Amino acid sequence: MARVDAEPLAAADGRNLTSSYQKLDMQQRMLLKFEVEEFLFMEADLLDSRRYDEWLECLTDDIHYWMPIRRTTTAREVEREFTKPGGMAFFDDDKSVLALRVKRLAIGRAWAEDPPSRTRRLITNIKILGYDGEEVSVASNFQLYRSRLNSEEDNWIGRREDKLRRADGGFKLSQRHIYLEQTVILSQNMSSLF
Amino acid sequence: MSAASNHNWFDTESGILDRRIFTDEEIYQEELQKIFGRAWNFMCHESQVPEEGDFFMNWIGEDEVIIVRDREGTINVLLNSCPHRGNTVCRAELGTTKSFVCSYHGWNYDLNGRLIGMPSEEHFYRNPMDKNDWGLTPAAKVESYKGFVFATLDPEAPPLVDYLGWVGRLGIDFMAAQGELEFLDGVHKNRVQCNWKLAVDNVYDWYHVKVSHGSALKIGMIGEESMAPMDQMVLLGEFGHGIGGPGITEEMFQESVARLSGSEGEQIWYDRNVRQRMKPEVTEMLGPVGKRSFGHPNIFPNLWVALTRQVCLRIPRGPYETELWWFNFQPKHVPVEQRQNAIFMQNHLFGPAGILEQDDGENWSHSTRGAKGSFARTRPLNFTMGKGQDQVLHDESGQSRIETVVNEHGQRWTYQSWQEWMNAASWPELMQNHSLPPTGEI
Ligand code: FES
Ligand SMILES: [Fe+2]
Repeated sequence: MARVDAEPLAAADGRNLTSSYQKLDMQQRMLLKFEVEEFLFMEADLLDSRRYDEWLECLTDDIHYWMPIRRTTTAREVEREFTKPGGMAFFDDDKSVLALRVKRLAIGRAWAEDPPSRTRRLITNIKILGYDGEEVSVASNFQLYRSRLNSEEDNWIGRREDKLRRADGGFKLSQRHIYLEQTVILSQNMSSLF
Repeated sequence: MSAASNHNWFDTESGILDRRIFTDEEIYQEELQKIFGRAWNFMCHESQVPEEGDFFMNWIGEDEVIIVRDREGTINVLLNSCPHRGNTVCRAELGTTKSFVCSYHGWNYDLNGRLIGMPSEEHFYRNPMDKNDWGLTPAAKVESYKGFVFATLDPEAPPLVDYLGWVGRLGIDFMAAQGELEFLDGVHKNRVQCNWKLAVDNVYDWYHVKVSHGSALKIGMIGEESMAPMDQMVLLGEFGHGIGGPGITEEMFQESVARLSGSEGEQIWYDRNVRQRMKPEVTEMLGPVGKRSFGHPNIFPNLWVALTRQVCLRIPRGPYETELWWFNFQPKHVPVEQRQNAIFMQNHLFGPAGILEQDDGENWSHSTRGAKGSFARTRPLNFTMGKGQDQVLHDESGQSRIETVVNEHGQRWTYQSWQEWMNAASWPELMQNHSLPPTGEI
């Protein structure tokens, strides 16, 4: 099969590592990875425990939060699998839109989340793609399990490409690109954050 | 041909609906034949398949079809089922190809669906077989109106323009009024565990907005004045098409034109829409009544046209499940910023993550669930809002309308028409027996 050049898959083979990250020794890489993991796990915890306002504080003001639409294509045309930035997407949010989503939940009559869903995020396969001393590019796989009411279940699995920027002695999230393993979203809504 | 019947699931006298129509498997199977098998079904926009070999996959009921542009530039609609064993011959949902090759035994088809090759034909098919008889089955008719492609499986269906009538055409004219459209790559698709008719019914539902979308209103995602109960206009068209929602008076239209022509600019939510519609050619196209309607058109059975330059197709997936597909458009020639703002709204209002629409799905799925219990199923549903309280207004424009407040005229018309489709044995019978749009008191 022809080499696949779709952005999210290309990044997965690690060829995009920036040179400054490659210059780090093993111990420095381990420390960085530990820091990154702590941030990602903490941030997932905030969402799972419905502490949305605190989650918003983990984002930079210029964050880009994006989930393109995915399509089934032939192997020959797999470069058409994802919609392009700036076009149609399930999420294409800046911080103000994310703040609106969060505000909506707190304001009442946000029926998709009232009664609130139960969610659990499993974040795995964390892989640092690059680091320039300021910003870390990191890929991770996720499973977002949601159950609602008595018996409604959703299971979203995918890959995220994040950027974490140094701020206030820790990290803030400045990019989250989400590549879901679904074309038709098999859920009545996506009122959860990924 | 199916048999005529005399169902009275919807009692037009009382406005009471038998909710079994949302869950009954037999009714659903009948719908696939009598509604989707007969109607003109929306396929795609011409700009989705601009070049030879471009294809897009869609559904007519539960039959999957390939929409493909051939060498001559004609758009064909072909059943995605190989006549050898029935396998699908196309597994991608869009793309560009020279031919369709069946992955089972390799029969292959050209862009017109003609069978052009069978592996080892001369060795194994020692019996004579005429390949002309074994192509992919085409839709009975494919026609388009202003770039929107429709197909029907029933050779007896009337021409598309007649089927749409002035109300169905007006729905598409609303889109055409915005300039020459192009399709934006990417259809938002998701599944809701609801009967398709509950999603369609909701097109006309301006009663639910303040409650269902209360949070979206409170955060200012949609404007209270454009969504709150207010002056409403309902247009009802032959075969079940309709447009229901906000409508303004001629005076309001003229005041808006004055504002837009003067120094005041856009003040009220509909001024932006009036700006497009005050152009003489657009006013002419929409007509004196159509230009004042800002409602939601539904092209029967299942295509919702939204004023945000989007159409939403509601595809049945069994009685309990519906796929929602949002197709997005933009006029070709608009300033970049205007285009970006419009795309922002298209991505953020509707679709599964849409700030507006995410609160709809559970209401529809639980309304469907409300027809599953063997006792609940026997309880009637109330569609009586405003019944008998309004007049259909007629004038020389021929654009008959109801000018009123929030109401359920559109929903009643949908179920009444749906029932007539279900009771008719064929297109000729439906042509004879269907109700003409109401006149007088309604
Ligand atoms: S099923 Fe298509 S070639 Fe046999
Ligand atoms: Fe709604």
